Amino acid sequence: MKILGWLAIALLLAPFGYAVWISFSPDTFLTPPTGSWSLRWYVEFGENRRWSAALVRSLTTALGASLVAVSFGTPLAYAVARHRFRGRRIVASIAIAPALVPPAVLGMGLLPFLFVVDLWGSPIGLILAHGLLGLPVVLLIVRSSLDGQSPDIELAARGLGASPWQVARRVTLPLIRPAILAGALAAFVGSLNEGLVSLFLATPSTETLPAVVWPQLRHAASPLVAVASTISAFAAALACWGVAAFGHAARKPGPKHRGEGN
Amino acid sequence: MSRRPYLLAAPATLLVVGLLLGPAILLVRISLCAAPQGRGFFTPGTWTLENYRTITDADGLQRVAETFAFGLGVAALTLAIAYPLALFIWSLSPTGRRLALGLVLLPKFANGLVLLFGLQQLLGPVGPISQAIATFGEPPLLTRNWFGALIGETYLIVPYAVLLLVEQLSRLDANLVLAARGLGASRWQAFRRIVWPHSTPGLWLAGELAAIWGIGAFLGPMILGGPANATLAVDLHRQAFDYGRWPRAAAEAILLIGTAILALIVAAGLRRWRAA
Repeated sequence: MKILGWLAIALLLAPFGYAVWISFSPDTFLTPPTGSWSLRWYVEFGENRRWSAALVRSLTTALGASLVAVSFGTPLAYAVARHRFRGRRIVASIAIAPALVPPAVLGMGLLPFLFVVDLWGSPIGLILAHGLLGLPVVLLIVRSSLDGQSPDIELAARGLGASPWQVARRVTLPLIRPAILAGALAAFVGSLNEGLVSLFLATPSTETLPAVVWPQLRHAASPLVAVASTISAFAAALACWGVAAFGHAARKPGPKHRGEGN
Repeated sequence: MSRRPYLLAAPATLLVVGLLLGPAILLVRISLCAAPQGRGFFTPGTWTLENYRTITDADGLQRVAETFAFGLGVAALTLAIAYPLALFIWSLSPTGRRLALGLVLLPKFANGLVLLFGLQQLLGPVGPISQAIATFGEPPLLTRNWFGALIGETYLIVPYAVLLLVEQLSRLDANLVLAARGLGASRWQAFRRIVWPHSTPGLWLAGELAAIWGIGAFLGPMILGGPANATLAVDLHRQAFDYGRWPRAAAEAILLIGTAILALIVAAGLRRWRAA
């Protein structure tokens, strides 16, 4: 039973491992390196302006999308978790909608929409689209973190004379910071690997990695495809590590906080 | 009543409504336009129901039925894989649980396109699986058909379903199972009477999400299916990008939303029927 479970997990990892393995191939074809391993395609990736530009664009889009998702999603999560107001449930369901709309429909709809609002060919279009997709995730994570914390702490701060803004900055935000970081991370990784809306919205001047990978997969695939995936997965892992390290550092009381008690 | 919650909720709500409603209105309008004449993607200013007629002819309705069935297939296969896996992960120690969940979610750090490409290579005619079967006899074709498409799309959804189900299971007080066992219930009885009823809300939710995502499937059918295995999403991409027929693609997008909503209505009906 135990072996079977771990075996199933290993099976789920196989396609991922296979793609990483292929990326070290010395051949022109997408075959795993059997004899010698080579970094040839990584060098090629770095030297090919189209691929490296797409990687940079993917990373900046993901960063922008995660900022959009967090800055719009966090206040919403706070409103839904801490206030009872008319339309609360509707507002919460509307924000989940982007996760339920089929991405092909979203892409097909955003395509003419971005034309009309004159954002076609601008990176802002894709950043907004990916921010939209990240919003439900941020809402879920931050809301459940707020639900898990007693509102009494905030009330106490208010009672002791703090303004609502001070409470938000000094009490609520530090408490939910791990959740906000987790939400930002999820939105970042989601955007980095989102391959369908990106496909619909790509123009030659704004193409992200999936848009470059796509024709390759359909026609002549080279190990560059595998390299692209390995590098973007590595970037995602790096972001995770960064967030974890940052969260860890933030938890230690800094010298600034120490003297404040008196 | 304070204005504060409205001020906090307004930016996100406006963003979502604007970015969903605006495109939705345009999709409806374009779906009622005539096909492009020469250059352009549609003929502006025209009104016609022609696109809806085209996508609901015999071939079109078959595509809708196939898309719907594909979504149900994805949901069933997702639950069949994710639920046992979630039970296994739930039974582990806290450390093991975190490790196993992390490994299940690890593929989600890679691009879906490339994951499915890896899967295609593994399942393909020259891949290791077919090669292994070939030592015993003629291997069945595992890709370029509905089977491949189903495996591919399910593969993308399973990690989320596992996450959701483990989350649901971890809210169950493990002492209840121990108590039942102590009171003489067999392992099966403890599962059937305690774990299973507790899991059903999670199973419904995971199943519904998998069905909706399966109905909107694009990457699975596109990369692991054959040319004949076109779901609505695959066909609308083809219409828009290969043929430049935006009106037809827009009409198909609306049909796709309708199909997804139909699946949710069916699921809600099933839930009520099970509860009664």
